[in-house]
Amino acid sequence: MKADVRLVGLGKRYGAVGAVEGFSLDVAAGELVSLLGPSGCGKTTTLRLVAGFITPDDGEIWVGDRRLSSRDAVVPPERRRMAMIFQSYALWPHLTVAQNVAYGLRFKSDVPRSDRDRRVAEMLRVVQLAGLEHRYPGELSGGQQQRVAVARALVVEPDILLLDEPLSNLDANLREEMRFEIRRLHEAFGITTLYVTHDQAEAMVISDRVAVLERGRLAQVGRAEDLFRRPRSRFVAEFIGKTNIIDAVATGPDTVARAALRLRVDAKDLTAGAPVLVSVRPHEIELSTGPVPRTPDNAFAGVVRRASYVGTAVDYQVTLAGTDVTLRVTAPVTVRLAAGDTVAVRLDPAACVALPPAP
Amino acid sequence: MKRLLAGALLASLAAAVPVAAQDAHLEAARKEGKVVWYTSLALSTAEKVAKLFEAKFAGVKVEVQRTGSQRILQRVMQELGANIKNVDVIHTSDAGHYVLLKDKKLLMAYTPAGAERFPPGFKDRDGFHYGLRATVNVIAYNTKAVSASDAPKTWKDLLAPRWKGKLVTAHPGYSGVIATHVLALSHLLGWDFFKALGQQSVMIVQSAVDPAGVVASGERPVAVDGGDYTFYQSKKAGNPVEVVYPKEGVPLVVSPTAIAAFAPHPNAAKLFTDFTFSREVQQVLADTEGLYTGHPDVTYPSDKPKLSELKLLTVDPAELEKRGEEIKRRFVEFFGA
Amino acid sequence: MRGLDLSLPVWALATLLLLALIGLPIGWLVALSVTGEHGLTLAHYVDAFRSVALRRALWNTVVMAFWVGVLSVAIGAPLAWLTARTDLPGRRLLRALVMASFVTPPFLGAVAWVMLAGPNAGVLNKLWRSLTGREAALLDIFTMPGLIFVVAIYTFPYVYVMIGNTLELVASDLEEAAAVLGAGRLTTARTITLPLVAPAIVSGFIVSVLQALALFGSPAILALPAGFHTLTTQVWGMFQYPPRIETAAAVSLPLLVATALLLMLQRRLLGRRGYAVVGGKGGTRRRLALRAWRYPALLGCFVVMACAVLLPYGVLARTAFSRAWAQPLTWDNLTLRNWTFTFFEYSATRSAIVNTLELGLLTASVGAGLAALLAYVARRRTIVGHQLVGFVALAPIAIPGVVLAVALFIAYTRPPLILYGTLWILFVAYVTKEMPVGYAQCDATFRTIPAELEEAGRILGARPLRVLGEITAPLARSGIIAAWCFIFIGVIRELSASIILFTASTKVMSVVIFDLKEEGQFGAIAVLGLFMIVMTFGVVLLMERVLGRDFLGVRE
Repeated sequence: MKADVRLVGLGKRYGAVGAVEGFSLDVAAGELVSLLGPSGCGKTTTLRLVAGFITPDDGEIWVGDRRLSSRDAVVPPERRRMAMIFQSYALWPHLTVAQNVAYGLRFKSDVPRSDRDRRVAEMLRVVQLAGLEHRYPGELSGGQQQRVAVARALVVEPDILLLDEPLSNLDANLREEMRFEIRRLHEAFGITTLYVTHDQAEAMVISDRVAVLERGRLAQVGRAEDLFRRPRSRFVAEFIGKTNIIDAVATGPDTVARAALRLRVDAKDLTAGAPVLVSVRPHEIELSTGPVPRTPDNAFAGVVRRASYVGTAVDYQVTLAGTDVTLRVTAPVTVRLAAGDTVAVRLDPAACVALPPAP
Repeated sequence: MKRLLAGALLASLAAAVPVAAQDAHLEAARKEGKVVWYTSLALSTAEKVAKLFEAKFAGVKVEVQRTGSQRILQRVMQELGANIKNVDVIHTSDAGHYVLLKDKKLLMAYTPAGAERFPPGFKDRDGFHYGLRATVNVIAYNTKAVSASDAPKTWKDLLAPRWKGKLVTAHPGYSGVIATHVLALSHLLGWDFFKALGQQSVMIVQSAVDPAGVVASGERPVAVDGGDYTFYQSKKAGNPVEVVYPKEGVPLVVSPTAIAAFAPHPNAAKLFTDFTFSREVQQVLADTEGLYTGHPDVTYPSDKPKLSELKLLTVDPAELEKRGEEIKRRFVEFFGA
Repeated sequence: MRGLDLSLPVWALATLLLLALIGLPIGWLVALSVTGEHGLTLAHYVDAFRSVALRRALWNTVVMAFWVGVLSVAIGAPLAWLTARTDLPGRRLLRALVMASFVTPPFLGAVAWVMLAGPNAGVLNKLWRSLTGREAALLDIFTMPGLIFVVAIYTFPYVYVMIGNTLELVASDLEEAAAVLGAGRLTTARTITLPLVAPAIVSGFIVSVLQALALFGSPAILALPAGFHTLTTQVWGMFQYPPRIETAAAVSLPLLVATALLLMLQRRLLGRRGYAVVGGKGGTRRRLALRAWRYPALLGCFVVMACAVLLPYGVLARTAFSRAWAQPLTWDNLTLRNWTFTFFEYSATRSAIVNTLELGLLTASVGAGLAALLAYVARRRTIVGHQLVGFVALAPIAIPGVVLAVALFIAYTRPPLILYGTLWILFVAYVTKEMPVGYAQCDATFRTIPAELEEAGRILGARPLRVLGEITAPLARSGIIAAWCFIFIGVIRELSASIILFTASTKVMSVVIFDLKEEGQFGAIAVLGLFMIVMTFGVVLLMERVLGRDFLGVRE
């Protein structure tokens, strides 16, 4: 049964420190939402609140029309019809692969005993572990252990699936492969999923929507592209992908200035004199040789400080003439410049996102 | 420096003591420095004798190794087996030991000063060992738990059903006093007596000193054996203990002492043995410890019966030696341990 | 650590040790047990096992050891779980008390329990009678159940440590994974936690059984008064004059074989599953909130610790200051006499303390050093046949103290090496007995120090010995000092072997206390016992201060 999850004003404090504060989030039935943030941002605490391992100090957790958690009452984890994949996989070393996977079926009264073996075999086939039924976890590779953990969680057909950095223990290649694998399984099973990670690329590949957490609070939630293109804070802008931040002051509803630098930005309601941060992604900046065009907005002369070839592109550091602003620019390999070259730099106003100054 | 000082001090002390014969002994003893005494005398009594000796003969230490008679024999023989010569003076309550030790030529012939005046039961014919002290085995009870009229009066009274689980005995495998006791009573009452006693759920302790402690604490209200001096001391210390001297007779235990043939400190051993047979020490044993002695000049506290007033059961040391194993075996058979 | 060739010296040392500590004594033991006046014979075995008394003692030993194992697990496992995995209040104190129980010599506990639960004079029984007005005793310590109880309350710390350490390794994730899948608390405990801890429980059970099998003091103090024997008291009795050493050897060997079999069984039971807990980063361990169970659990722990530590030391302290321990503690009954007697009149005290301290410090230092060396070469695989080194170091675990003592007595009362009568024979016995403990501790320590740390030193130019001194030694320091403490404590509380190996001039404190018990000198026992514990704790706390860590190893 698909179910939606609603977190309403969740709060959890440890001593005086708030691990999670005023956290609200709706996850639609069948949706996969990532909780993304640096370590200590409260994402794992949030997940454990959802799982029912901890009791919130404030707020409530709803799944469908069931209120699972509140300050006063918490449905214990075993009655939440959820499944979870742990960072450590938490495979039981004393049980075989098949026994690990079959474990959760014992508690499902609607799965007859005779049906369990079939389901386990089926699931092991899905995660490509057929033939390893009788191994102990200690006898498997890291990737295989990971798949056992996935199989164990999926075989019970949970209402909600929770994943706590499940890929962080895998090496880079395997990690990339497993991202697609998880996404594939999600699309196949359609289970409402909460996915905790600190890896923004992983979150973007896997999720329908990403919730970015900053120090226990929800910073922004949205589709990966929205977060990338329309971050609402410096934190989100910097956490999702690389960016250039220019510390400036508004001069009109859609213009800002930093000393001699004048920029038109993607905004309509700036108050003149107010401090503004401008975020520009390195790949949205155009470089060209030849003279700086007079007509378009946001065109400047610059000097290349450093050029680094990275295969698919070239990374440049360019200082805008007459200013103290140095920008990172990612340009296609067709444009080849050397340190010391003078270039024309254009910042598309639509790519210049105005952000409120950091508090 | 220290030794020099001590030497000077000793020299001046020696000059002050006029008795010439003892002088020679003393000088030699001081050179040896100490005497090692394996003794079955109750610990506090043994330490008291040692302190008296050390006070009188500065410069000669007494190393007290107190344990049960049977353990002493075991220790002596075990150490000899490994060629360890440690003990000077051997004192146990099992007269049979001295038959054995003399037989194996492990004793030195030595008659302590004044011991020739002791009665026959205290003297070895060949002068190898002499009775240092004597005691009799008795019944004792805790006066808080048992009234005088209810208390057992005879050995056979102990077999009454009402004493089941209320009795304590020491062990002949540890104590010479008890080994002697068991042999003496087996002559008087037969082994059946012990067989029946074994059915009484008797608590078993090791030392013949311990029943006094057990009765005093009330852990068991009645002791079926134990040297009367231990109960006497306990009573003197204010414990609610009373002694019964059964009319059928009380086993007399004379505890011999002897110097080992291989004694590493022979002179100190002689000096010490002389000292323990002196009127002074024998009187202490009688007065504060409640022991009997063979010394003809010793007087006894008025609250203890004279030996002459008691019907004494004696055993032949040779028989005790010969049947020692059997006594222990039967006891274990009847009592379980 | 290639480049430092320790093979030859280590092998020479290990061989010598094996010979001196095990080979020669056990060889003599076997030889003597089958030698009669006319050459080879099995008569000693026939003699020994035809005796009804000995068969009864054997049965008593089996019964006692089995139930001690069961009771130790029943006490140690819940206590370990409560300290390691719940929010039980006072966990620090609880751990300190478990350590106190571990440090307490079992024979001292037995003496204390004579005073607490003797059926008539026992303090607890008197209290019971005055509260209820009943005649019958509440407890009788001079019984088989009494004996089992008193042995178990000083054996359970082994189980506690083993299970505690295992619970440390079981990440909470493993339990939470079950909960999420629908397993309730009890089901999780039954299907996940318990099976994971099962090897530790089995090991704890077997170690407890082995401890009980080899114990001498407690049966001598509690079983003999009640008229029954165990094997150890029987073997000890065979040393009485005239000694029956051959029979003692014949009884010892089956005990040795039984111990070895139990250890093999333990290996078999643990089976093929690598119980190393899998998963990436070691998962975290979270504490279970006990909520309403907090105080019942606390009460349970308190009762156990009262039995093992508080009551015994209470009664010992009281006895130390009483004229008569069984009388009420009135002004009349108060005295310092026991103290003055013990320290100023009883001539055995001083030499026993000196002997004990000398042996304790020497054995702990030599033992910990040796154990560290052997563990190091075995773990770093620096020499050929490193597995054998571990075997040599752990082999004495299969030799009960009494058996070891009989073997050493036979081996070292005759040429070429007569050690009997010197402290050295006790030293040899103690080193042998404590080597497995020290080795296991050191091995665990080196396991936590990756070889990379040493290799990093080598690559930067440090010579092997320098790396050993400047990198390995500081890292291993706390582990080795913990091994030192374990050995020291083991020596202080040793009686089973000492009781056979001492001579008049080489008495140790445990033997003196046993001597005093045979004469019923409770006052002096209390004084010496308390002194002994203060001394042990003094040394151990000093070490802990130096270390800044709790050597019992169960973290909060």
